Amino acid sequence: MEWFQSNPEDTNRGDQPGPARLNSVPKPKGVSLTEAISMTSVRKTFGKKVAVEGLDLTVNRGALLGLIGPNGAGKTTSIRMIMSILFPDSGELSVLGKNSAIESKDRIGYLPEERGVYKKMKVGAFLRHMAALKGVPSDGAATKINEWLLKVDLPDVAKKKCEELSKGMQQKVQFIAAVLHEPELLILDEPFSGLDPVNMRLLRDLIREQHERGTTVIFSTHVMAQAQDICDRIVMIHQGHKVLDDTISDIRSRHETRVIEFEPLDPSGLESLSIDGVTGTRQGERAWEADIGDGIEPARALASLASAVPVNRAELRRPTLEDVFIGIVTGDGASEEELRAAVRAGAVVTEEEE
Amino acid sequence: MNPTKILRVAAREFASTALTKGFLIGALVVPALIFAMIPLIGILVNQAKPPTEQGEVIVIDRTGSVGGLFADRISPEAIAERRMELTEELAENIPDLSAVPGAADAQESMNAALQQALGEVPKISVDQRAADADVEAIKEQVRTTLTDGVARDDPDRLLGALVIAENAVMRGDGDEDFGGFELFVRPKLDDRTVGEIRSAARWAILEARFSANNEDREELNRLTRVNAADTQEITETGTREASFELGILLPGAFMILLMMGVFTGGQYLLTTTIEEKSSRVVEILLSACSAMELMTGKILGQMAVGLLLTGVYSSVGIAALATFALTDLIDPMALVYMAIFFILSYAMFGSLMAAIGSAVNELREAQSLMGPVMLLTMIPYMLFLPISRDPSATYSVVLSYIPPISPFVMMLRVTSSEPPATWEVLLSIAVSGAGALFCLWFAAKVFRVGLLMFGKPPNFATLVKWVRMA
Repeated sequence: MEWFQSNPEDTNRGDQPGPARLNSVPKPKGVSLTEAISMTSVRKTFGKKVAVEGLDLTVNRGALLGLIGPNGAGKTTSIRMIMSILFPDSGELSVLGKNSAIESKDRIGYLPEERGVYKKMKVGAFLRHMAALKGVPSDGAATKINEWLLKVDLPDVAKKKCEELSKGMQQKVQFIAAVLHEPELLILDEPFSGLDPVNMRLLRDLIREQHERGTTVIFSTHVMAQAQDICDRIVMIHQGHKVLDDTISDIRSRHETRVIEFEPLDPSGLESLSIDGVTGTRQGERAWEADIGDGIEPARALASLASAVPVNRAELRRPTLEDVFIGIVTGDGASEEELRAAVRAGAVVTEEEE
Repeated sequence: MNPTKILRVAAREFASTALTKGFLIGALVVPALIFAMIPLIGILVNQAKPPTEQGEVIVIDRTGSVGGLFADRISPEAIAERRMELTEELAENIPDLSAVPGAADAQESMNAALQQALGEVPKISVDQRAADADVEAIKEQVRTTLTDGVARDDPDRLLGALVIAENAVMRGDGDEDFGGFELFVRPKLDDRTVGEIRSAARWAILEARFSANNEDREELNRLTRVNAADTQEITETGTREASFELGILLPGAFMILLMMGVFTGGQYLLTTTIEEKSSRVVEILLSACSAMELMTGKILGQMAVGLLLTGVYSSVGIAALATFALTDLIDPMALVYMAIFFILSYAMFGSLMAAIGSAVNELREAQSLMGPVMLLTMIPYMLFLPISRDPSATYSVVLSYIPPISPFVMMLRVTSSEPPATWEVLLSIAVSGAGALFCLWFAAKVFRVGLLMFGKPPNFATLVKWVRMA
């Protein structure tokens, strides 16, 4: 599933920063190939509700990591604990070598999910205020602010009040506030929500640029396709537990697909057609889909389908993160259809919640 | 905590509140306009023309000796002469202010005020009737003129009837007391005119009595008059006229100034905290500084706003006292204590406001949590007179050691006529300081949890739960 067109030149989105790009972009001070974040057995509850349970997470410096999961999974709570906005009930946590992000807030950029601005404040003044709070010297802040406003296509807004900007424009201003001080660690919680496709692409490029300059980027989303497109390493959280922590390529290789996508020349009568090694066919979102029977080799099912039905195209579907997530949590009692619909809507239905 | 970040937050908080048109107009310009309006109102009142009363009073003098005296006494010439004497007498008793700039204008203004208070000299003529005239018939005569629509300045307008009792001058046999007079007037007669008639009637009756008894009125007046100079207070440098009203009002003024600064700053703190929470900017701020730094900065910023207000109003008050050479009523230590108690009371109420602001989603929801806090503040407000009059009473002493109202009550006691011992003030400062620390600790816990809590507004039990959770 492609969320938006990937940059074909961008081949390095792994745990380690691309050396070629890092040579051309100045590194933030103090960057080393050690851990940027380390969480061990972290637990957080709100009253009786367990938000995060036994979370172990290590993020190396320079990584671009996607934190995914449906709404209410525990992503924002985890991020707030990393930012020392919330504090864990138990477990150990270190950020940029410190026991608390409070000690290194000037080295961290954060775009929260619940974001806002001082509505009556002018954009320039707001950004100067944030820059000052982040320790950016006042003499250089104005120049940086102007450069960033130009970069995000907001050249004339510095003297406008924040409330005069559209939501998308405000979001770009908030992003500037998060990166103005050239952080070593950038945490973005649902950064694309509310953006139009053009601004989504702009923001994606800016995130990649930050990563290329050596910044460790953690990016949370409930839209799994977004993480799949930008990140190479994925941490998946479900009901407060980490259920997956791997690179995209390893995830795909380990989660074998059991679906064939095909485009028949003549789709009439396909649903009732019996094909050897295939348990059923249906019209999918982008093409027709055929489920491979248990114990059947995918290659054999593919050959059998191709011989039974004249097709323009037939291929084994690459597993998406959504497929992987569905595969992991189907044991919770919900049907696959319910889960898939819920994941796309940003929520998950489980037996416990029902 | 990072002091630079705290100061940065405080500076923004102060600027966003105090450097706005709303604040400048509401908190500074409006009071300044009111001050400016006071002399203007005086000028307008002085320029208002008093009503001119003209007309006739029917006199039924049953004694036969009072009517003529009354007619002489109520004549416009006699009234004007008496007023002239009164003005001269006042001028003699008022201290010499010729050295004070603007005093001459003040003198003129005072004369004008006197004339205004007395009204224009009424032109009243007297129609003496027979001693046995029927009062009811006279009343009926007045009654018939009520609907005539006669103008106030018509000399034939019938104002009323004065009936002098038969025994007003000479007591009847067996009478213990003298008789007096009855006055019947048309409705809505100017009160100053009525006053002149009554005064003249009283004077005429007394004059007739003195004559009948061969007494010298002037001598009797001298015998019954005691000249007592105004009470003087002995100060360190001399003496001054005692002002017992100021002695009672001054502590109240100090307390109200203190309350005004504390609650204005606290109210702004509540509002800006709710705004930051509801506009969701708070989490962006928390990415740059800790909750404690944010709260401390906000409290300091709004404390500066409160101090500014208190400073402005205190300066106006001191300037007013200086105008009347009464600055020695204020003990400089009282100003020092006021600054200390302002900080302590603001730390208590401000932190509670910050906690409440962080816990709710909109101003309306804050009302239920504010109720108990505001109720506490009413205690010194309601007890200000008893505490000022009796600053050493048990309830005054006890309340001055109970935070969060201790700063207000101790301020009342410090500026009262019977200030407490220094150790008592220091003890109150210590107790208030402990209260301030507790409130800050409580607020910090609530603030950290509450800022990111949305949904159902909490009650006090929930706040306590958050404190345990944080």
